[in-house]
Formats: sequence, C-alpha cells, structure tokens
Amino acid sequence: MADPTPDPKHIGDRSLATGYSALVHRLSVILTVAVFPLIWVGGLVTTYDAGMAVPDWPGTYGWNMFAYPASTWLFGPFDLLVEHSHRLLGTLAGLLSIALVVAAFRNDGRPWFRRWTLLLLLAVIAQGALGGARVLLDERTVAMIHGCTGPLFFAMAAATAVMSSRWWIERPAAEASSQTALGQNATGPFLCWLASSLLVASYLQLIVGAQLRHVTGSVPHSLFKGFVHMHLGLAGLVALIASGLLLTCIFNGGLPARVRRAVFLVFAAVLLQIALGIGTWIVNYALPWAELNAWLASYTISAKGYWESLVVTAHVATGALIISLSTVVALRAWRSRATSTQVPAN
Amino acid sequence: MRRRSSGFSPQGQGGAEVKHAVALGQADSCSAIPRNQIEMFLVWKFRHLASRGLPARWQTATRAAAFRALIVVGSLLTMAVGCNRQQPSFEPNRVLAKRLELSESVPMEQATADVGQALEVLFGTPDTPKWPEFLDGEQPLISRERLARAGGAVSSDEEGRHFGLFREHCVSCHGTNGDGLGPTAALLNPYPRDFRLGKFKFKSTPIGSKPTRDDLKQLLLRGVVGTSMPSFSLLEDEDLEALTDYVIYLSIRGELERRLLNEAALELDFDGGERVFDEAAKESDPELYAEQMLHIQSQTQRIAKQWSEAESQVVAIEGPPAELPVGRWVDLRAAESINLSQMPDALEQSIARGKQLFQGNVASCAFCHGPEGAGDGQQNNYDEWTRDWTLGFDPRDPEALSPMLEEGALKPRNILPRNLRLGVFRGGSSPADLYRRIVFGIEGTPMPALPMKPDNPQGLTANQVWDIVNYLLNLSDDSLSTATTSDLEGSSQAKNG
Repeated sequence: MADPTPDPKHIGDRSLATGYSALVHRLSVILTVAVFPLIWVGGLVTTYDAGMAVPDWPGTYGWNMFAYPASTWLFGPFDLLVEHSHRLLGTLAGLLSIALVVAAFRNDGRPWFRRWTLLLLLAVIAQGALGGARVLLDERTVAMIHGCTGPLFFAMAAATAVMSSRWWIERPAAEASSQTALGQNATGPFLCWLASSLLVASYLQLIVGAQLRHVTGSVPHSLFKGFVHMHLGLAGLVALIASGLLLTCIFNGGLPARVRRAVFLVFAAVLLQIALGIGTWIVNYALPWAELNAWLASYTISAKGYWESLVVTAHVATGALIISLSTVVALRAWRSRATSTQVPAN
Repeated sequence: MRRRSSGFSPQGQGGAEVKHAVALGQADSCSAIPRNQIEMFLVWKFRHLASRGLPARWQTATRAAAFRALIVVGSLLTMAVGCNRQQPSFEPNRVLAKRLELSESVPMEQATADVGQALEVLFGTPDTPKWPEFLDGEQPLISRERLARAGGAVSSDEEGRHFGLFREHCVSCHGTNGDGLGPTAALLNPYPRDFRLGKFKFKSTPIGSKPTRDDLKQLLLRGVVGTSMPSFSLLEDEDLEALTDYVIYLSIRGELERRLLNEAALELDFDGGERVFDEAAKESDPELYAEQMLHIQSQTQRIAKQWSEAESQVVAIEGPPAELPVGRWVDLRAAESINLSQMPDALEQSIARGKQLFQGNVASCAFCHGPEGAGDGQQNNYDEWTRDWTLGFDPRDPEALSPMLEEGALKPRNILPRNLRLGVFRGGSSPADLYRRIVFGIEGTPMPALPMKPDNPQGLTANQVWDIVNYLLNLSDDSLSTATTSDLEGSSQAKNG
C-alpha cells in the first residue's frame, strides 16, 4: 500500500486543480471537535480506574451497546457512566469517520485525500478494537497503548480538517503570490522543521506520560523515576520548541495568519500544560518538599477528588490537544512553504 | 572498521535464550524472560550493528547517547508489546535477605525460596489472597470476603462496587506486598510506609502495640496531611473496611516473612539439610512437613494475636481539667461551671508553662524540634524502617549501601523533626491527638514516649502535658488561643441566653 502521508509539494500541484468541498471540511471539523470530548472521557476512565466498569465488549452487561437502559447508564455508578459514555462517543467518532469517507469519495477530487480518509476510518476501527481488547484481556498495557493511539487519531482528524479546508486548497497560492511580490519569504524551513519537531517531541512526551499514568505494581521504582525524569526533560524540550516557534512568529511578520494563530494557540496550550503537569504531581503525590510552605504542608490529597481528577484528566487532554495543534501548525507551515516556493513572482 | 563490542553478549548472559525464544515465536516467550534481559539484548544488538561500517567519529561521539536512547526506546517497546504481562506476584524481602546474608555470612537463596513457598501456601497470591483457617477465632481479625475484594485486578460492577481496591488505590506507592517500594516510592518524601515491620506511626495504642482497625481506617479517611498519603474519604465504608483488612493481611504476611528469614539465618543449618519449609515433604516426609508447618503456624498466630489484642490496649485520653482551657478543646459542660472571664489569663499562663516544659530537660522537645519548634534541632537520625536494613553499617557509607540498593532498597534519608510552627500535625491536630503523640511517642521514629508521673517520679503530670499542647497550638497560630476562648464565651452565652 502506498504511503498515504501527503507530500506537501505534490499536494499543492493537485489540490490547486480540485475544488473545495464544504461538506467534507465541515465533517472533518465536526469529527475533530467530537474526538476531543472522547479524549477527555477516555482520560476520566483511567483517572477513575473505570476501564473494567463494563466487563463485556462490544455489548454492555449483555445489552446491545445502544440499547443499554439510559436510567442505569446516566444515573448509575459514575464509573459506568464514564466507560459507557466513552464507548458511545467512540462510536460517534466511527460514524462520523464513515460519513467523512463517503463525503470525500463523492465530493473531493483528490485521490490521496480519499485514501487518507480511508486510513482515518481504519484508524478509528483499530482504536475501537484496542479499546475492546483492553476490556476482554483486562490488560493495563493494552489500556496504555489505547491511551497513546487515541491522541494520534485526534491529530489525524485535525490534519484532515486542515487538509480539507478552503485555505489549504485555494489560499496559499494567493498568499504566496502576494508575499513574493512584496519580497517576503512567507514561511522558512526553520519554522517548518521546528513545528514538525514539536509534533514529534510532544508525542514522545505523551508516550512517556502514559508510562507514568498506567503504572503497575510490577514496575521498579528506578524505572518509574527514570520515566519521570524523562518526562521532565521532554517537557523542557517541548517548551523550548514552542518558545522557538513563538519567537519565529513574532520576528517574522510575513507568516500567514493561519500559521501564526496556530502557533499562538499551541504555545498557550504548552504553558497551560506545564501548569497542569505541576498540578498533576501535587494532586497525585504532593511535593517532596511540602514542609517549606504552610499551604503545601497543610494540603491533604483527596483520592478520586473532584479537583484532583479534573487536573489530572485536563493534563491528559491538553497533551492530546498539543499534539493536534502541533499537527495543525506543521501542516500549515509546510503547506505555506510548499506553495510559496512553487508560485513565481509576478 | 569491524570490531566486536565488549559488554553484554547474548551467549554470555542469557541472550541466546532470548534470541531462541523470539526466533521460535513462542507466544509466551515474553512472560518467561525478564524484561531487563530483553533490553540488554537490544543494547547488545545495537552495539553489534553500530560497530559495522560506521564512521569512527559517530561511534565515539554519539554512541553513549544512542545507547541511552536505545534503552529508553527498548523499554517503551517492551512495555508496549506487552512484555510486562506477567501475573502480579509477592516479591520476596530481598533487602532483608541480603542484609542477613552479609551480616551472618550465610547464603539466603534457599531460605528465601522456602519462605516464599510457605507464604504462598498460607496467604495465596495478589490475585487470590488467602487467609489461613487456623487464624479464625471467635472474632475473626479480617473477613475473607473483604480480602478478596481488596485483592486481585481492578474492576467494578453494575452496582458501582469496586474490586481490586489495593491495586487501584495503594499499590503504586506501597508496592504489591506492602513493602513501601512501589513504583513511585523513590520520588516521595516521606517514603511510603513498609507494612512488613508491623509498625504504624499514628494510632491510639502505645509504642510496641499494633494499631486498632479503627486507627487504620481513620488514617485512610483522614489521609496524612502534607504527604503523598491521600484521604480516602470519598470511598464507600465497605471499601475502607476491605482496605483495612488488606493492610493487616499484608502486615502479618510481611512480619511472618521477616521472622522466618531471621530464623533461617540465625538458627538453621542449611548445609546440614535443614529447611524453613519444604512443600515436597508433604508427600515424601509428612512428619517433617507437619513439624515445619506447625512452627510456621505458631509464629503466624503470635503475630495475629498482637493484632487481636490491639483493641484492649487503646489508651483513652481524658480531657484537660475544667479549670485549664485548652485550645480547640471546648467542653461546654465544664465551661458552665467556671469563670470565663479568667480563661484568657489561664490560657496565657498555660502557654507560658508549656514553653518552659518544651524547652526543658524532662520533655526535651527542643533537642529535636529546636528551641522555637521550627524543626531545627538534631537532623541526623533515621527511622526504624531505615535502621532495620542498615543494621550493622553506616547508612552514609555508599559502599556498604550499594548491595542493598541493588536489591531495591531506597536511599536512606534522615528523618527530620517536624516544624511545629507550620501548624500541621500529621497524626491529627486535635488537642487529644497532640496529647497522645507527646505521651506515647510515635512508633518507628525518634519521637519517644514521655516519662510520666506517677510511674516515673521525674516525669511530667497530665496537666503539664496539656500545657505543652497549649504551647504547640499557640506556636502554630497566635490567634488560636484567643479565638478559642471567644468561641467558648460565645457558645456559653448562647447556651445561657
């Protein structure tokens, strides 16, 4: 099977000749928006150790998933609510992916994009199967893998939204043309590589974070400590790359607004994530030097407490958001650069 | 440039088995091979490949970084492909075995294996914990049903009942067998408690006694302020009861393991064929098996008896005398019969007396906690959980520590006296809690029990201890004494009005 990953230069040539489909784009955006709560609820499943709240799959306590009584689901135990909601939201993502494939095959002229939507559908099916395997095998390692691939699907959905947008298909050529005429180099290779590095670093960071989150009693404390140090080191790297992107945006006024906005967003998300990361450690384990401060010394962690769960789950969801935003920045940057180098000056 | 890398070789250190197993595609090969062997094999393989046809500059400059990266990637991959799918097991007390091996110069492998076997017969596994029938008395110490709920894998049912509670809430810090060596342990301060010594800090019984069930349950409910020990107040009562059972179970199991290992090192002649426990003897030599089992049962019963007796050893704390106001201790029945206008003066005098006692030689609080209670007294002590495995050598000696750390022990840390000015008392902040801490000390720590009259003519009276309590409460919050007195007045007026 050919590599479906789009090559920006080739995409530029072909997409210029194809029309923009509002339906495909809207479906992509809806899918992306729908996956974010799915990630949140998935995070809650792990936070509340609710992965085995429904012991069967794909059914729910012997019922067809969709026919499971709402009274039990909505007003029953909280674990059941989050696990079953996660499954239903996953199904919604699957249905939206199917609709997207149909819409793409009917309305989008780009063969590679059609194949991409098929890949997206395969990814959501695989993700669902992984979730099912986690339940049927009752295996935390599978839960960890499921937790790592979820944000990957979120990033794929975000990429689909970018690649189906009017800007992707029509605007870069016009922007590049006007910028070249003004003598500005719109998007340099540095920013493109920086954005790609952010994507890779933030995903690695998520994988290491998953090792901490899905830790089992058999993991030696030395290994866990190593993962924590690695997580801290990667956090520094992600912050450094995000700062580099921000500075590049500030000092390069010729960047397309879409790239700039995405960079500002991802930088804000990284700042938020650092704060949430510190918060996550405090609400899980307290600080090792709590005695230095009266407030920290008087803080008692509440197991499964509302704020504790919110902070931890928000940290997970923001991590996934950073990966998706990095994908958006990288794609827009590469797209902007690819088209600007192809359009001759007037 | 071709050269053979030094270091790990698959033939030399088990890599051949790894390669063989992987080549055969054995379904369970991963669970049969220790993960670190796979990682070592990956490192060796990488070195082997890296040494072929690559520029010397690359090999020397970036190899170290590449090795580190490979170890990381290898760890991630081995975890990702599910090589940590082995069933959870109770790991033996390797640290104690190593300490005994070094101090007594006896090999401990056989003893460790024997003890592990005996413990599994009596107490089962983390997935299927057992409670020995011979411990069933008139009032069972723990319930088998609750034990089963607390053990095993994490799940919940349609009614919202949780199972695998210990794994859900405790194992990441306290470890599968309650050794305080869970994955997160090295990064926590203080380190998580090791239940296997059978010592618990905050309880209503004197030093040397076990805590009551209620002590443990209260600790779960309240958590330990300022530490990584959370409050489980949001859990159902039956969950707390199940967790309490499981902690007692692990503590008894761990304490028995310690006793048997100590006996093996100090009393048995392994060269002469003596064994702690030999399950095979059940068939081959039933008499020997019965003898071994009887001894192990009697040791277990002794430990369990201490737990059963805990309730009868609770020391009730009577309140302070009516004429002595104590911060936060509002006894309105007594307050009605005393002159409230004199309370602030009485409290002030009590605080002043408490300060003198705190800094004096009998209570000697200032020696550790510093003259003003800021925790700046002696700083070089260790708790008993650290002293236990550093017995016979200096915990600051890296060479002596090395073999123990290799067995999983955590780097020793000094137990620092509390800064009492923060107003945070881990064992509870009520006057009664403080009174109990002062009079009975804190088990496993350098905080001793105070000498008390009339048992000790040089000791303190109960009223003097209440004076110290007042001083401590005043130390942490200057407005507290005033507020308490005004609260008292307000409450009394409300009653009278």
